[in-house]
Amino acid sequence: MNEVNEQTSVRKKQLRNNLTAYAFCAPWMIGFVFFTLFPIGFMFAVSLTNRKLNGISDFIGFANYRNLLQSETFWNSFQVTIFFTIIMMIVTTIWAVIMAMLLNYKQKLNGIFQFCYFLPSVIPTVALAYAFRTIFGKEAGLLNAIITSISGKNANVNWLYDSHTVYFAVFFITLFTYNTGQMMLTFRSGLNDVPRELYEACDIDGASAFRKFRNVTLPMISPIVLFNSVMGCISALNGSFALLYPLTGESGDPNGMTQVLSLLIYKEAFSNMKVGYACALSVVLFLIACMFGIGIFAVSKRMVYYEN
Amino acid sequence: MKRNKVLALLLSTSMIIGMLTGCGSSKTEEAAPATETATEETTETAEAEPVEEAAVEGTKVTIAVWNEPNSDEALNMYAQCEKATGIDVEVTVVPESDYSSKLNQMVSTKDSSTDIYVVWENDISNFAQVGGIIPMDDYLSKSEIKTDEFIDAVSKLSEGLGGTYGLPWCAATEILYYNQDMFDAAGVDYPTNDWSYADFQAAAEKLTQKAEDGTTEVYGCALPNTQTWWAGIGAAGDQVYDPSNGQMVLGEGAVSFVSDCFDMVEKGVMPAPSSDTADLFAAGKAAMSWQGSWNIGTYGSELGFNWDIATLPTNALKYNTLHTGFYTINANSKNQEAAFKVIEYLMGEEGQAINSKASGNPSAIKSIADQGAWKVEAATTIENWDAITDSLAAGVFGYTCLPSGVTNNAISEFNAALLGQKTPQEAVDSASQYAKETIGY
Repeated sequence: MNEVNEQTSVRKKQLRNNLTAYAFCAPWMIGFVFFTLFPIGFMFAVSLTNRKLNGISDFIGFANYRNLLQSETFWNSFQVTIFFTIIMMIVTTIWAVIMAMLLNYKQKLNGIFQFCYFLPSVIPTVALAYAFRTIFGKEAGLLNAIITSISGKNANVNWLYDSHTVYFAVFFITLFTYNTGQMMLTFRSGLNDVPRELYEACDIDGASAFRKFRNVTLPMISPIVLFNSVMGCISALNGSFALLYPLTGESGDPNGMTQVLSLLIYKEAFSNMKVGYACALSVVLFLIACMFGIGIFAVSKRMVYYEN
Repeated sequence: MKRNKVLALLLSTSMIIGMLTGCGSSKTEEAAPATETATEETTETAEAEPVEEAAVEGTKVTIAVWNEPNSDEALNMYAQCEKATGIDVEVTVVPESDYSSKLNQMVSTKDSSTDIYVVWENDISNFAQVGGIIPMDDYLSKSEIKTDEFIDAVSKLSEGLGGTYGLPWCAATEILYYNQDMFDAAGVDYPTNDWSYADFQAAAEKLTQKAEDGTTEVYGCALPNTQTWWAGIGAAGDQVYDPSNGQMVLGEGAVSFVSDCFDMVEKGVMPAPSSDTADLFAAGKAAMSWQGSWNIGTYGSELGFNWDIATLPTNALKYNTLHTGFYTINANSKNQEAAFKVIEYLMGEEGQAINSKASGNPSAIKSIADQGAWKVEAATTIENWDAITDSLAAGVFGYTCLPSGVTNNAISEFNAALLGQKTPQEAVDSASQYAKETIGY
């Protein structure tokens, strides 16, 4: 009898503990359901309508999806999005690793260097983009003025409108975004955690700096590389709007070369008032983000080293 | 343990209460009528006896506009309206780039925070269709606003709406600005209102100044802007906008004009499209520029050279786009009578004259426009004021009736052609294809 009572008491205690845990989780769960899950579901529902920005709406099934699959603008934007995401993720990650490694060298004024490298990252992306738009101007751009004064020849490079230079300019600007700065800090903390004795062992074996990086540093910080790659990918997919809209406009000039899906979504929803169609595009963007996430985690199983 | 439970309970309760409070509608919102109800109610209100002046005095009326009110109080029509009517006029400035979409969202959500919308040409019929704005006919029947004196193009634009839903705040047009000092230096005759397109092209070439290395120091003409691309295409013979089906109509005219601009860019007579935001004409780097008439008020006496205006040159035909905005009353406004009083003032002689003096845009009411208040006093070098009246006479409502995404996309295509990234024909075909995909959605 006593045993039964004791078991009941244990169960009750477990239930209370579980309920307590759920209660602690509840605020996040409620927020997640209302502010994440519901909007995603609602977005999908609206994508099945021809809803316009002024509220007119009729159910049209999958017509938006059929239309976007037949649209050249969509396919161009799809390709640009994939290209932009992959390159931006690679460029920003490599740059952040380089910066973190440079800052990891023990030298004087390291704090000031770190502050200077990180400073552009705390500038709002839109302000940063407008500043670079001015710098990369053709007629009155600062960069062309500097090149002119150095070379003595009239530099008239159309940085953001020439198909040969636009990607260089845009990816250069991404190096100064918040995401890259944040990556640099996480890499730096990761580099500090790499055991010194591994490097000492390498030194004894006479390993070169490159081999030390490839065989020690990279495996040891690979979980952080994975984390930053995922964050960089999501940032490129969702955050590129704030960078590209002020730089190259809603049509992704020149010739649609920078028209990522987030720009097209904005253009369709707020310039053409096609909210239903924009939601269908958003569903596609959501699927692309999922694919990138799954892809990165799949690759990471082979490449990421977890010490424990 | 007990403390944990209490804490968890408190957190959950506060979260749920917060959610309910955030998601719940206020009593006022619950009472907000559906579109049809709103229209019925407003019609009833409109049919009621006119409200006494004293009844609306002290009422706050909010008006949504895209441009800042004039900083000079004498030229601030809203400040003057407050003095004249006793109504507190609050101006909500929405950035121009987001103006149309913001208003659409407000209409969609039956927002009641704004009483008067100044609605653009491409939105007015949609807003009327969804009951977002009210017909003003009953108010107008008891008002002194001269609706029978609107310029023809404005009257035509309001046809087919089933009532008078909006009153035009002005009638702006597009004109040629030119730097007289540069014309004098190059020995070129000033542009006239009967200038041909060939005259314009020849002058632009003569006015271009090049450096020793062949790069251009001063352009003959600035690149067409988002407005004047359409003037060039219309003048080259294309219809641009077909009011019968709401479609964009581009063809040979567009190909011809884009090709001409490409040639001028190649020769260095016109700058290539770029990310530069500087006004090359104002900076003294372009001898001519096609722009909206509202820039007269902006330039005033600010430019460091002598300048004047002319109509845009005549190509296959004389063409420029008219621009306006319509004062409309929000169907969900709680202050519709006061809102109409404000509109009545702004559409009256005093309000229209102040608007014209501040912006340089003539009134859309012919008898008021004839008084010439739009001849901006600060623009002392302008002699050819006839350019405005001639342009208004030739003006039509064109691209402004199309969705901005479609027209912006077309301009990106034209820019790509100017940069040699596609042919003018490909650019025009691509712009037309996108318009077909978009319009009529």
